[in-house]
Amino acid sequence: MRTRIHWAPSLLALAIASPAMASDLNINGFLSVGASMLDDNKASIAGADNQGGFKNDTVLGLQVQKQVNNSTSATGQLVSRGSDDYSTEAAWAFVTYAANDDLDLRMGRLRIPFFQYSDFLEVGYAFNWIRPPSEVYRVPFSSLDGVDLTQRFSSGSIDGSVQIYYGRFQGDFNTGTDVYASDYRNFAGLALTTNMGNFGTRLSYHQAEIIMDTTDTTTALGAAVGAAGAIGLVPDGVDVGTATGNTALAGLTGVGDASAAEDFNFTGQTSQFVEAALTYDDGTYSAVMEWTALEHESSLFLDDQAWLIGVAARIGDFTPHLTYTTEKDSFDSGKEGEIQKQLPLESEQSSIIVGLRYDYDSGTALKLEIQNNDEKTALGADGDSATLYSVAVDVVF
Amino acid sequence: MKILKHSCYILLIGLASSLANAEISVIVSNNNPNTAIDQATVGKIFLGKIKSFPDGSQAVPIDQNDGAAARNTFNSTILGKSSSQLKSYWSRLIFTGKGTPPKQSGNDAAVKQLVANNPNIIGYVDSSVVDDTVKVVHKF
Repeated sequence: MRTRIHWAPSLLALAIASPAMASDLNINGFLSVGASMLDDNKASIAGADNQGGFKNDTVLGLQVQKQVNNSTSATGQLVSRGSDDYSTEAAWAFVTYAANDDLDLRMGRLRIPFFQYSDFLEVGYAFNWIRPPSEVYRVPFSSLDGVDLTQRFSSGSIDGSVQIYYGRFQGDFNTGTDVYASDYRNFAGLALTTNMGNFGTRLSYHQAEIIMDTTDTTTALGAAVGAAGAIGLVPDGVDVGTATGNTALAGLTGVGDASAAEDFNFTGQTSQFVEAALTYDDGTYSAVMEWTALEHESSLFLDDQAWLIGVAARIGDFTPHLTYTTEKDSFDSGKEGEIQKQLPLESEQSSIIVGLRYDYDSGTALKLEIQNNDEKTALGADGDSATLYSVAVDVVF
Repeated sequence: MKILKHSCYILLIGLASSLANAEISVIVSNNNPNTAIDQATVGKIFLGKIKSFPDGSQAVPIDQNDGAAARNTFNSTILGKSSSQLKSYWSRLIFTGKGTPPKQSGNDAAVKQLVANNPNIIGYVDSSVVDDTVKVVHKF
């Protein structure tokens, strides 16, 4: 009896002292509820229309993380999006092996770390906007299956991380109007982030080989493939419609280069994604500048550049912010470019976003936002301008 | 004039005492070999940027509960962030699987006891509760 009493406290001490907090199960979540209304229906921003709606900015995420032992953990994150009829997707599902304090290896379903906000694109609480500007955040898929390796470093006043990954994305490429079955193979990339005092930088490069089904001629890309073929077959300068008897193609002029037209497909051509970002945050004032470029070997996607610049001020619990963002396509050189110019592919647009975030409790933010979007060119035609009014509540728990 | 001077002093003293927060001590177990840890290192440990003490042993930071006076002082002085800024910082790490915030571990007394029992844990408490069961490595 005596020994038992004697042992009990030291066993307890041992239990507390042994691998610090090893068997923890962490459950976290985020929820955004938003409503938005467009002032007219000619343009399209964030899936909104002029009847108002609550669905497009509504997102629920639930994450469970289990520390298996001192070096291994398992994490799963399920995300359900209003814009996707609340179907639920595993955005993340991976096992982490911490090789040491600063080196993590992960395997499974991972978010593609394209740009500054890509990793947490749907966690509204983590940024001031209701949604990151779609001019820059324009890649319509977000996760891949593969492996990544993150090395953290910290020396004096500088700290940061290097992340490299390799994997494959197989799934729907949803442009909002059409859905294509796609396969992004040999998807690989590198992201370098550094923080020094109030400044932060992020540089990243990504590439993938794209295979996409564009055989459905009722889709925009399928129709473009067919038209590109026709333009390539008809002699230079001759009206394609007259030459082929296909009235739908009337007004397009042939370039007489079938091999150029063959570049209008996705049979494993490489696409590259490049990003550079600079952030500043002194506690009161913050700013973000981000430049991105997409370069596609296939001529069916136009190369483009997009960037944003945003500033914000924290005044107590209120954070007013202002952002300018723009995206512009460019044509390939040579015959491919001549064909691209005749297809309804080109877009050029910019937005000004003015918003207010109110942190009314730690973990809950209320946001108001007005976005004026000016489409100079949309799918090769003159665009429209429109204003989107949005409100949202973002919660993390 | 004299009265004015006098009332100015009273005002100043009153102002000073309302501005001065209670002193906070960053504490580790007596079995932890580290003796002093500078503010920058304490900040990096609590933001998950480094995971070990200066001597190389594993560091596990623990927080006081949300809303505790010591926590607010610690956040604004050592980390230089408001509680909603910190929440935003941690949500970026939590939901990308890159880190978990320090565990909320109660008040001064609870934190002191956890620290005393585990050489890997680092916490902070109001200096008035510090006794010989723990070791102070930083004070502010």
